[in-house]
Amino acid sequence: MLPLASLLDLPGWRGRVRVLGGSPTGRRVGSVVLVTDRVEPRVGVLVATASDPAAEGSAWRLDALLRRAADAGAGAVLLPTTTDLPAPTRLLCSRLEVCVLGSEGSFLELLTEAAVALAAPEVVRARTVLRVHTGLASGRGDGPARLVTLVAEALGVPVAVLDRGGQHLEGSPQEAGLAIPRPGEAVPQRAVLAGGTTLAQPVLLPGIPGVQRWLVAWVPNERDDVGETAADCLVAGAVALAGRLAMDRLVLERDARARTALLADVLRGGDDASALLRRRAAATGWPLDGWHVGVHVSTGDGVDNAGLRADALAAFAATGTELVLVEQDSGWTGWWTAPREPSAEQVRTLAASLRAGHRELQGSTGCATGVGRPHPGPGGIAATLAEASDAARLAGNRPERGRFLHVDQLGVAQTLLAWTRTNTFEPAAQSLLAPLGAPDGELVRTLAAYLDAESSVTETAAVLGVHRNTVAARTARVEQLLHVDLGDPDQRLALHLACRALTT
Amino acid sequence: MLLTASDVPALVRGAALFGSGGGGDTQDTAILLSRSMGQGVELLDPEHAPDDTVVVPVGLVGATIVLAEELPGGAEFTTALRAVERWTGTRAQALASIEAAGANALTALLVATDVGLPVVDVDLCGRALPRLDQFSIAVDGLPLTPLVLCPPGGSLVVLDHARPAQVERTVRSVLGSSGGWAAVAFPPMSLEVLRRSGTPTTTRRCLDVGRRLLDLPEAAAPARLEAATGGRVLGAGRVVEVVRSSARGFGRGSLTLRDRRTSGLLRLEMENEYLVAFEDGAPVATTPDVIAVLERRSLQAISCDRATRGSEVVALHLPGPAFWRDAPRLDAVAPRAFGIDVDPVLLPAAVSP
Repeated sequence: MLPLASLLDLPGWRGRVRVLGGSPTGRRVGSVVLVTDRVEPRVGVLVATASDPAAEGSAWRLDALLRRAADAGAGAVLLPTTTDLPAPTRLLCSRLEVCVLGSEGSFLELLTEAAVALAAPEVVRARTVLRVHTGLASGRGDGPARLVTLVAEALGVPVAVLDRGGQHLEGSPQEAGLAIPRPGEAVPQRAVLAGGTTLAQPVLLPGIPGVQRWLVAWVPNERDDVGETAADCLVAGAVALAGRLAMDRLVLERDARARTALLADVLRGGDDASALLRRRAAATGWPLDGWHVGVHVSTGDGVDNAGLRADALAAFAATGTELVLVEQDSGWTGWWTAPREPSAEQVRTLAASLRAGHRELQGSTGCATGVGRPHPGPGGIAATLAEASDAARLAGNRPERGRFLHVDQLGVAQTLLAWTRTNTFEPAAQSLLAPLGAPDGELVRTLAAYLDAESSVTETAAVLGVHRNTVAARTARVEQLLHVDLGDPDQRLALHLACRALTT
Repeated sequence: MLLTASDVPALVRGAALFGSGGGGDTQDTAILLSRSMGQGVELLDPEHAPDDTVVVPVGLVGATIVLAEELPGGAEFTTALRAVERWTGTRAQALASIEAAGANALTALLVATDVGLPVVDVDLCGRALPRLDQFSIAVDGLPLTPLVLCPPGGSLVVLDHARPAQVERTVRSVLGSSGGWAAVAFPPMSLEVLRRSGTPTTTRRCLDVGRRLLDLPEAAAPARLEAATGGRVLGAGRVVEVVRSSARGFGRGSLTLRDRRTSGLLRLEMENEYLVAFEDGAPVATTPDVIAVLERRSLQAISCDRATRGSEVVALHLPGPAFWRDAPRLDAVAPRAFGIDVDPVLLPAAVSP
């Protein structure tokens, strides 16, 4: 038994058979009978009649046929005409719960195709999968958009490409059924929902961690017969999509290598950039003149820096900052350029937006980010990048600063660090903070973050990822335990230095 | 019994009902009859009249609806009667109706008032039938000729030595080339023949049912309607579609009403008369039984050519004459005789003489 909706979606039926009356939903068909006046329809059949019973105004013949079909339990009647049914006959279709289909073209071909589909569903399944393969081989599935169209047309159900996080990229508009059941698991998935079944096939690239894309199909309940076929077609589509992504990846890696090489030349060239280097930089869209502020984003192991470069660019662009960004083994290096020396206010604003971009990236990469000071000319790029790289390294050890450091504050910090790293100061600092518990305990961390954040409860809460009331409670407890007043500048300075000595 | 002008309204109601949607419009004929009734017309019971009474069946063929356009001169029926008497050399002792339903239920009475003869209550259809070769004597193998046609305008056609099918074709062609209707007189025959090959007491039945219909209140309940007519209600509701087709036959088409109570769809196939009723695609009433459509409030019969979409109606299934239930006769008037491929579906009890 096949759902009637599946018959309507047979390749030879599509566009040539349409519903004239009644609803195909929920109707199932097991065989086709060609009815003459002598043969009675049987249960679960599609009744086909080669001559239009309603021709010459004998609408009663169609009524009588519908009645016989309904009495016999037949689900649908196929007519060799697409003429609209008269209103009373449409009413009768609903009343008798019979679906009337109208067809044009060769009636015999339609019946043959339906008979084959009903007698040997695996033939239809094989043909569908083969059609997807043939389409892919002939290039009709090039690119995610065309691929989705190809698979969706072959199956007759909605298909979509989603990114690793489930965001919709191509295909049918995102609907509930086209969501990945468990995005974290890189295996083919299937979820049975109220209205149908979701099938999700991961698109993987060898050697590159994580799922690159998901190919998802939504099989409504009335098309449940295409479930297995859909799984087969999704596998074929995912393989083709992986090939396409590998090609894109090749281009990406090639571009990354070119950028890395160009950056090395820029850094080596200093202020005496050759005409050739200037031309190469201009062709890539890199500004060498003007004032530059360097950024270094340091990512952890196992992060796909080349693949995620677009995400990083987007994260910074979202804050209104256009950066040059180059992939490195350990992350990304880049800079921002202004035609004239930026004012202190401009630099502060830039640092704030870079910090916002950094926060955006931290969730997916766990990165630490450093920002250099403004330096002029081609040689200034190397100088600001060196500062940014140092700052990033320091930032990696400073969770209380949100793993973000701007070199403007770095000068003071480094001085302080050098001054407090002494054999006499460290034991003093330890005994001073001892009532707060271990140096990596929450009270010490909170105090350090609070003082770093210029006594801002809100900023401290953001850095530590706790509620501001928690911060307020902890600082009150610190004051109580140490018998100090955090509002007193002298006491605050002493505690700040002690924190630095213990936590850095 | 003596029929008077006071009997005309009941007769008209009953005749329209047994017209099964055809038989012609009764209203114009009713007006003519009411005016000429005078002392009344003697309606003879066929069982009590002498066997050898010479009877001439008279009536009207063609579309009675064109009577209003092509007005009768008044003498057509008498001319036809006198012509057949002349042609056969036999004098009529009584008249009979060719088809005691619709307008023809009244024409014989109308002619009788002109010529002063009684009318025997026996006819050749027992209801309305569209074709002359379906008339009872033709189906029983008796000749329809000599037959006289008198279209309006004074011309006269005498048709003799023709088989029933030829008679039907010839009459249709004459009607097509004249005013669309004609007075007709059948050959004189003895009452004994008519008793055997005719349908008796149809006029009496029209009169009885008509009287009971007139006694009903407006929009009477189905049960009361059934009791008054001896039929059963097939459905009551609004007409959702009327389709007329000129492709086959004359007056071919169908009327569909949606039953208010069951929501079922009742389709009435028609060819001049309502022939077959399908309820949700299944045949539930057929010729030779009578299917009538009544206006819901007034209970006036609605003829096939006057049925309109949107009207509120009641469809009735009434028993047809017993004459047509015998096997060889049934084939002549069963649905297949009209090209509708279903078996007859008849009420258990036919109307017996």
